[in-house]
Amino acid sequence: MSVAAGVEYYVLLSMGLFCIGLFGILTRRNALMFLMSVELMLNAANINLIAFAFYHGNLTGQVFALFTMALAAAEVAVGLGIILVLYRNFRDVDVTVPTTMRW
Amino acid sequence: MEGAFSYAPAIAAFPLVAFVVALAFGKYMPKKGALAGILATAGSLLLSVVMLVAVASGEVYHGTIYEWAVGDALTEVGADGIEFTFGILIDPLSALMLVIVSLVAFLVHVFSLGYMNGEGETGLPRYYAGLGLFTFSMLSFVLADNLLMAFMFFELVGLCSFLLIGFWFRTRSAPSAAKKAFLVTRFGDYFFLIGVVAIASTFGTLQFAGEESFVAAAETAIADGTTLFGFGPETWVTITGLLVLGGVIGKSAQFPLHTWLPDAMEGPTTVSALIHAATMVAAGVYLVARMFGYYAQSPTALSIIAFVGGFTALFAATMGVVKDDIKQVLAYSTISQYGYMMLGMGVGGYVAGVFHLMNHAFFKALLFLGAGSVIVLMHHEQDMWKMGGLKDKAPVTYWTFLAGALALAGIVPFSGFWSKDEVLYDALIVGLEQPVILAAYAMGLLAVFFTGFYTFRMVFLTFHGEPRTDTAENPHSVGWSIKFPLVVLGALALLAGVANLAPVAKLTGMDITYLEFWLDGEYGYVEGLTYHDYHELVAFEEGYISSETVTMLLGAGLSLGLAVAGAVTAHVLYNVPEPTRHTAKLGGAYDVLRSNYYQDEYQVWLAEGLTLPLARAADRFDQTVIDGVVNGVSTASLFGGDRVKRIQTGIVTNYAALLVAGFIALLLVLGFIGGWFL
Repeated sequence: MSVAAGVEYYVLLSMGLFCIGLFGILTRRNALMFLMSVELMLNAANINLIAFAFYHGNLTGQVFALFTMALAAAEVAVGLGIILVLYRNFRDVDVTVPTTMRW
Repeated sequence: MEGAFSYAPAIAAFPLVAFVVALAFGKYMPKKGALAGILATAGSLLLSVVMLVAVASGEVYHGTIYEWAVGDALTEVGADGIEFTFGILIDPLSALMLVIVSLVAFLVHVFSLGYMNGEGETGLPRYYAGLGLFTFSMLSFVLADNLLMAFMFFELVGLCSFLLIGFWFRTRSAPSAAKKAFLVTRFGDYFFLIGVVAIASTFGTLQFAGEESFVAAAETAIADGTTLFGFGPETWVTITGLLVLGGVIGKSAQFPLHTWLPDAMEGPTTVSALIHAATMVAAGVYLVARMFGYYAQSPTALSIIAFVGGFTALFAATMGVVKDDIKQVLAYSTISQYGYMMLGMGVGGYVAGVFHLMNHAFFKALLFLGAGSVIVLMHHEQDMWKMGGLKDKAPVTYWTFLAGALALAGIVPFSGFWSKDEVLYDALIVGLEQPVILAAYAMGLLAVFFTGFYTFRMVFLTFHGEPRTDTAENPHSVGWSIKFPLVVLGALALLAGVANLAPVAKLTGMDITYLEFWLDGEYGYVEGLTYHDYHELVAFEEGYISSETVTMLLGAGLSLGLAVAGAVTAHVLYNVPEPTRHTAKLGGAYDVLRSNYYQDEYQVWLAEGLTLPLARAADRFDQTVIDGVVNGVSTASLFGGDRVKRIQTGIVTNYAALLVAGFIALLLVLGFIGGWFL
């Protein structure tokens, strides 16, 4: 098994993906876009895990990547649920509209 | 006989059982708990007599029943560790006191059948429960072998007096009197508590008897000249002794804490008899006798005891002269008589003090129960001016009451004469060398005249002359339960003096001072707790006028003469068919006496003029400074919180931005510290 490319490229890719996700969270108002951005960030983390697992030659990172995917699936289920409730209450999925959950 | 002492705890336990039974089942019992009380006190009396016999056969008992705390403490004399225990000490003094207390309690219970049940009172289970608890507390107090246990039961005695004085709680005056009794005695007990703590932290022991007692420790400290808390040992013994004396002055109603006692007459007369003769008030003097070895080491403390006693004797006797209520007269006589006991103790006359305590218990219980009988006769009228002529209508009450009165006035050969004379004789021989004691003696002697006067004024107004009201004309009748205790106590008032005929013994050379032998270890005794041990400790010189016999005869003649003079004055003024008040002749003095020397007024003034402003100032300090700091802290955080919470917008994007910004800031800080940018 040979390393096709240096691990730094994977890290750069992961960083790029993470920054795109972060950008989405900070700028978008649509809750669905939020969810997608979070998925991007989770996948950036997955790339990191797998790249380093490959680099170190053990399976720990890959196993954790599997966990992350399961987690992401669960997160999406909960997130969509929240979005549905949000829509039912505000007739909108804009995250800046509901501001009452504070002091 | 050793086995007899294992029953000692039962002496106190019987009345406690009676208390529980009366409280729980009194309602359903035929006499509302009276029978339980009578049985219990009879059992206590029986066992007390067994103890007395055991001590007479040369046995004593000192043992710990229960140890409830052991502590490591470095005390002032270097002992490490202190034990808090419940224990029993049965020596001649406590055995004698047990018999007195249980006898009086028994007779009071019997009398209550006629006085409370017979008069259709309600709330009787509560009454008998109170009596049972009261007897239990006092008996436990008498049995106590250490100061802390004594203190606990001393407090319980105070509580019971509160409960019983306020028995008729629906009236206005009784609850007020109960509160007053509780508060005034509690004021004294406050000092007592400090004294207990001081003694415990100084000597590391609170035992009354034995090698390990605080009395022995104090003796060692004085012999070694150990400095205690920066004071000389003798000064420190005086200070702690006087602190404990605070409780004694409160309970035994000595000046200036005597004001609760006359008000305590609001309780049922039987309760007054119990309080005055055997329990509450006697507890104070008994405590002095119990730890007499401690006081004996401090001439200053003894002089103060003697002076307070002598002063109180005279002070209270003069107030008793102008009272119209038969119970009030007796109340002041109690204060006065306890003054005598304190005087006797204070001059080192341990035997005389205990002797008077015993005789007083009998004749004062008799007088109070007699007064109770009179009150029943008079359909609950207590004003002596509305009585008169009861002599022929109630002969048993009259003759027994007369016996008590003769004993109280100190007329030979009734018991009061012998003990009062012995107190005064002991005071005189010490007084001849000590001016302070001589002053106390003079006051005590003068009080004899007033005692004779008010006693016989009471007798003449109540029983002699013509009946002054219709009720006095046709009195209620009294039953056997009232007559029986009166007859028993009447016999004791006449004969109890035989216990210690010191003057006769000195004149004839016969060995008949039995009480002195009793307290001096002729029978059973506890090392260090005997009369001659105490006598060696007391540092007073004794002086005589020409010789011992002459001094004695002179003193006895003087006191008897004054008592008779008082009685004769009362006879001339009041033993006429239609007596009138002679108070107008007293002029301004009458108002002063009538108002009890304005004692209540000045104490109320002290409370309102001094304590109240002080309490207000403390309250103000608490409300402004202490609360101010606390409130300031909370105000600051409230205000701060109100500002900081604006950060929360409720918009999730802002939170995400803050999170990222925080993360970046953290990265930068870590980077600086880690040296990435260098």
